[in-house]
Amino acid sequence: MTAASAPVAPGPLPVARRAGSAVLGSGRLLRLELRHNAMMWLLPLAAVLFWFNGYREIMALPPMWNLRAMTLQNRLLLDLAVPVTGAAAWMGSREGRRNITDLVAMTARPRWARQLATWAATTAWAEAGCLGGIAVVYGMTARQASWGGPLWWPAVVSAAGVPMLTAIGFAAGAWFPGRFVAPLVTVAVFFGLGYGTQAASGDHSFWQISPLTSGAFDIGAAPGVATFYPYLPDLSIAQVMFAVGLTVAILGTLGWSGARSRPRARLVVAAITAAGLAASGTAVTLAGTGRLDPHGMIVIPALHGAASDQPVRYTPICSHTAIPVCVHPAYAAFLPAVTAAVGSELTEVAGLPGAPARLTQVAAVYRQDPGNGITVSTAASSGSAFVLPDQLPGVPGATTAAFTSQLEQDLGLQLVSDVILGGDSRAAAPSQAQLAVIAGLVRFGPSVENRDLEPLFGYLLPVPGSPAALAGQRFAALSAAAKHAWLVHHLAALRAGRISLAQLP
Amino acid sequence: MNVEITELTRRFGRNQAVAGVNLQAGTGVYGLLGPNGAGKTTLLRMMATVIPPTSGRVRLLGRDPRAYGPRREVRRRLGYLPQNLGYYPGFTVVEFVEYFALLKEMPAARVPAAVATAVERVDLGGRAKAKLRTLSGGMLRRVGIAQAIVNEPELLLLDEPTAGLDPEQRVAFRALLRDLGQRATVVVSTHLVEDVGAACSEVALMDQGKIVFQGTPAELTARGTEQGTGDAPLERGYTAVLAAARS
Repeated sequence: MTAASAPVAPGPLPVARRAGSAVLGSGRLLRLELRHNAMMWLLPLAAVLFWFNGYREIMALPPMWNLRAMTLQNRLLLDLAVPVTGAAAWMGSREGRRNITDLVAMTARPRWARQLATWAATTAWAEAGCLGGIAVVYGMTARQASWGGPLWWPAVVSAAGVPMLTAIGFAAGAWFPGRFVAPLVTVAVFFGLGYGTQAASGDHSFWQISPLTSGAFDIGAAPGVATFYPYLPDLSIAQVMFAVGLTVAILGTLGWSGARSRPRARLVVAAITAAGLAASGTAVTLAGTGRLDPHGMIVIPALHGAASDQPVRYTPICSHTAIPVCVHPAYAAFLPAVTAAVGSELTEVAGLPGAPARLTQVAAVYRQDPGNGITVSTAASSGSAFVLPDQLPGVPGATTAAFTSQLEQDLGLQLVSDVILGGDSRAAAPSQAQLAVIAGLVRFGPSVENRDLEPLFGYLLPVPGSPAALAGQRFAALSAAAKHAWLVHHLAALRAGRISLAQLP
Repeated sequence: MNVEITELTRRFGRNQAVAGVNLQAGTGVYGLLGPNGAGKTTLLRMMATVIPPTSGRVRLLGRDPRAYGPRREVRRRLGYLPQNLGYYPGFTVVEFVEYFALLKEMPAARVPAAVATAVERVDLGGRAKAKLRTLSGGMLRRVGIAQAIVNEPELLLLDEPTAGLDPEQRVAFRALLRDLGQRATVVVSTHLVEDVGAACSEVALMDQGKIVFQGTPAELTARGTEQGTGDAPLERGYTAVLAAARS
């Protein structure tokens, strides 16, 4: 330590009063905090957790923007919750743990401003991790998807959830500065987030406000949602409002201790906290008014724009089969599977009276049942329209075999029965000969069991072991050309009920 | 006067740590002596605006720190080294001093030069980029002094600043104190009477929350010529005053 040899010390420094200097000072402080932030060291852990839990599952999904974006919203924040909340709590408790409270308490910069700098640095690193995860998933999807573009609302919700997590963790650390607060608050937030996604019941649940909830509880991310109609931002807006409001409210409460002796500051802090609470409370209330719309998304009447109900324009992708099958371009990758599943039926009925000129995929219709049940159906009035099952190959729990079987049961049977029964399958009970021919035309895969078809016996298919079933087996054994030729000559009589089982080839 | 303290008290529950202290200090180095538990640290913490007094009046640098605006003004012109220096182990010496320069709201453009000067003055220029976790106790103490003086404070409060410093560093530190005392009010709380003798122009002796002696080191020495115990003249004055206060 030197007095004489030291550089000549300047006189007392002028106080920083200019706004530019204050901004520069805050910037330098933020840079220091960024350089020494625990979240920076936890980013690799966050990346590993996301890769293990979220990324692999997301990338295994079919390359459809809606599926991947909605699943990303459901996974990313939960994967980040542990490192982000833990790092924020660790940083929030830093002054207390490091026994530096006296030293910082006598500095001119308000405690709140000091804490906000630390919180902002933690949030910046966490947000970088979050946006990195989004960028990777969206970048990969952009290369793989056959149609559409990124859904930004799920990404915005995830990004807005990050400051909320850091605010919760930071405040817990600041209020209870100890070594154990980080693990405790991390566990609490993790299970709180997880519980929030499970507590929803039906479409009017307040729990839909959870930033992990990307759609109706029992559908979640489904291929049919936000494909034919635009992604509805209603629930996302409420979730962002909730996350931002909660963040503001929590950060507001951090200012309480510093504002205790200052009436005006107390008023400002109270106003900020109240505004945050009001925003988050309003968002929860709005989420409680959400209802499932026919397109599978949550509509919040107060936030809903009618323009969002207009269908998305697209040019379908069609097969070059005897009867062209046209699907939404987002499903282009599944067109070969569709035509393979019902290819023989298409060949056998093509050109017959009443056979459709083309089969066109239409949007599914979703309806909320009591509790969390949701019915998925088609609003199509003609036999030429069909709905692809949401259980596409790649969706968790779905297989190519199951997808094919579902198509055979739905599309194949619908196509054949419409042609054989003249498009009026519900008008009168079909004759045994009609049931036999339907059974002889539709090919069910080996995975389709009798119990799956049981509701159709006597209605669209013959009862197993009955004479009609045996006749159906005989008919099925014919070549496609022979079946087609027989139908060309006898379809009118068959529809009129003038063909008996004995007259079938 | 940079420090004007009138009938200052501070209670912690039923324990009265400071009991009616009166103190005035202008430019110069003031030593605050006293046994353990005398109330020195509590008095310094109140002067540093870390804790408010229970009663009494404090004016620092001509301002009343009870109000937020004046308190903030005082804090911009204040330097404080607490008895137990907490620190962030991952920070380097320069970063730690810069951190406090920014918290003291120094003009941002002047921070780098002020930090470099402060680090040089405590003779840590060679370890400026070293992480605090790698420093010895004495070096950490010097880092604490650097953060206290980085804003060229008009009021500098140092609680046991020489604890952990080797003799050579203590000699250098006393020179630094004398230099700082030419422009600012420096209050040094210490157990080490030789620090007081070498660096302080005035000294106050506290016992049981009260100031029992106030004067120059020479006057304190004079009190010990007849009945004090100790190896050095100032120590004999110290013990004599304490004995008289307790009798």
